[in-house]
Amino acid sequence: MSTSLYPLASLPQIEKTPSREDGIPGDLEEDLRAYGCKLIHEAGILLKQKQVAVATAQILFQRFWFATSMKQFGIGDIGMGALYLASKLEECPVRIRDLVNVYDLLLQRKAHIRAQAVASSLASTSSSTPSWSELKYTPMSYFGNTFYDLKEAVVVAEMQILKRLGFNLTVVLPYNTLVNYLRVLGLTSREDVCTKAWGYLNDAPSVEARLQTPVYALYSVPTIVCAAILLTTRHLGIALPSAPENCWWELFDAEWEDLSSVCGWIMRLYRERSLEDHTRVMGMVAKKGVRQWLEEHRSVGGEVR
Amino acid sequence: MNYVQLEKLGEGTYATVFKGRSRTTNEIVALKEIHLDAEEGTPSTAIREISLMKELKHVNIVRLYDVIHTETKLILIFEYCERDLKRYMDVHGDRGALDPITVRSFMYQLLKGTAFCHENRVLHRDLKPQNLLINKKGELKLGDFGLARAFGVPVNTFSNEVVTLWYRAPDVLMGSRTYNTSIDVWSCGCIFAEMISGVPLFRGRDNQDQLLHIMRIIGTPDERVLRKIQSEGQTEGTNPPKQYPRYPKIPFSQVLPKASPQALDLLERLLQFDPSKRITAADALSHPYFTGSVPLGLPAPAPGSMAPPAYNYPHPHAHQQQQISQQQQQQQAHAHAQAQAQAQAQAAYLQAQAGMGHVPGGMSSGQPTAAYSSSRDHQLYQQQQAQAQAQAMMAQQAHMQAGQSQYGMQYPQQYPAGPV
Repeated sequence: MSTSLYPLASLPQIEKTPSREDGIPGDLEEDLRAYGCKLIHEAGILLKQKQVAVATAQILFQRFWFATSMKQFGIGDIGMGALYLASKLEECPVRIRDLVNVYDLLLQRKAHIRAQAVASSLASTSSSTPSWSELKYTPMSYFGNTFYDLKEAVVVAEMQILKRLGFNLTVVLPYNTLVNYLRVLGLTSREDVCTKAWGYLNDAPSVEARLQTPVYALYSVPTIVCAAILLTTRHLGIALPSAPENCWWELFDAEWEDLSSVCGWIMRLYRERSLEDHTRVMGMVAKKGVRQWLEEHRSVGGEVR
Repeated sequence: MNYVQLEKLGEGTYATVFKGRSRTTNEIVALKEIHLDAEEGTPSTAIREISLMKELKHVNIVRLYDVIHTETKLILIFEYCERDLKRYMDVHGDRGALDPITVRSFMYQLLKGTAFCHENRVLHRDLKPQNLLINKKGELKLGDFGLARAFGVPVNTFSNEVVTLWYRAPDVLMGSRTYNTSIDVWSCGCIFAEMISGVPLFRGRDNQDQLLHIMRIIGTPDERVLRKIQSEGQTEGTNPPKQYPRYPKIPFSQVLPKASPQALDLLERLLQFDPSKRITAADALSHPYFTGSVPLGLPAPAPGSMAPPAYNYPHPHAHQQQQISQQQQQQQAHAHAQAQAQAQAQAAYLQAQAGMGHVPGGMSSGQPTAAYSSSRDHQLYQQQQAQAQAQAMMAQQAHMQAGQSQYGMQYPQQYPAGPV
């Protein structure tokens, strides 16, 4: 069986993504990718969409940014387009109106959180008590321009994904492989192992599952699954044969270097982040925000910092 | 556009098909125009068709050459085929029924194309005579992948609103959402019977009626099988199991008196009620109907000289290697070869016509056919076939190169070098 029925990014695409070519720093791109995936995930939950469709959408979303710069398209629009397209592919289509409403709610909520965060950081300097207010959500009007603009954005984003990925839409999800590997390793009886490894496949604690890193556009499914098992077994202190010539991951055709790299991607998501790190991406859901950021950071000697 | 649009060939629910001619190679193609809907975005049928067909390169599958994406429409450029099997049967058949040689050839090609899809993890899900295209050379090709989908292992739950009713497998009719490749095999069986008799085998009015039509011929399966299939079709809640009338099985020899015993045996294996009992497309290809020594009432050939089926394509990868060497030879006398191949293809077509033209008078009438009257003729015929294929391949390669630069695949093509 050939393992690469699904496309992976090429080396030049990884070394210099289109966004980095446009001057967007690597760490910002990474944060925006993760944030876009988080939005897809949250929208998926509100739409009661199947996990297969959500995961497929996130993988298509990650692939897209190896073909296109974030200066050209916003992560919000492309996220909506990816979810809309993945829902068609997985035969559980969503209505554009529902999708648009859900994204609008999510974005209003994020804007509110961001405003609160800014307000509280100001408040802390002026030593008055921060006041957190409830979000008052106002739904868009049924025939209003907001709706038609967003609907148009979904259709355009879907077409751009199809076009820029050249209709390479095959996505292979890792879950079946994980079950098989755990069975081979005799670990299925340990419930904690299964849960934790499953969580790592989604790159987060199981409560807030999401495929936030680009690993699915970079590595083959067996490698990613092995990395999830490696992290799990190391954390839980379970010994598996790991001495050279007898390494368990070799059974599944994974390479040690790739494994440690995937583990690195996953663990980076768990590092401590400042409040500012969290809120800065919220202002860059649309390409306008990204462009504005680029403008502000270019002023220093014409070079992007 | 790189193609001249010629006359309209047909109109479907979401697309219009035109005949077209390439401005660069003068090759005749089919242009399928899909209008992009501002309400629903790109139709999912078009998405499926493109994403699956661009990787399926096989003689028995209609080739997708290129895709042109504009603001308002999507144009798919396909290999051109003269007519579909339905029309072919109307024109060449005896009240729709085809002669045994043609049936066997078409059946072999149908199974070959289906097996190739399955090998590449694609379900067609809409096999029927209208979706099988026949070209001048008598090659049969699977077309219209608008309902197809890729499948993994194990299979997810799928929509059960698939396959045109008359060709829909009983497990799907009973609501199964976990079907797999066996769904296409059932359709192949229905088409097989239709080519032999000239009329569709099971003609139901609706879902339930279709199931009864099937049971009236192949018999109601026993309770255990019914319950097993029903449990797979369970959606929400546990409906009480439906009761079906108990029909006895009618032997296929009564339904299709014209068919040979080997044809009937193959049909039996294709049309199994229980999907797990259905033969696979790949296994069906080595059924004695295709490989056996008593071919359809023809005089028994001397041992070892049995002619292979009319369109016996070698394994796709082997085929590729063979063609590379042929290509090298042909480059020297390219123009000559082209003229020759054309003449030969025409001759082959005439021969095939002559062979197909005769009215089969039952299985026992040992009429030799013009196309395979001697083994020498047969060898010649195979050569013609191979040459014509090599020609087609070179044209396609030129196409692909042009297509890729035009279309600009953003992702590296990591698919294994498939058959060309």
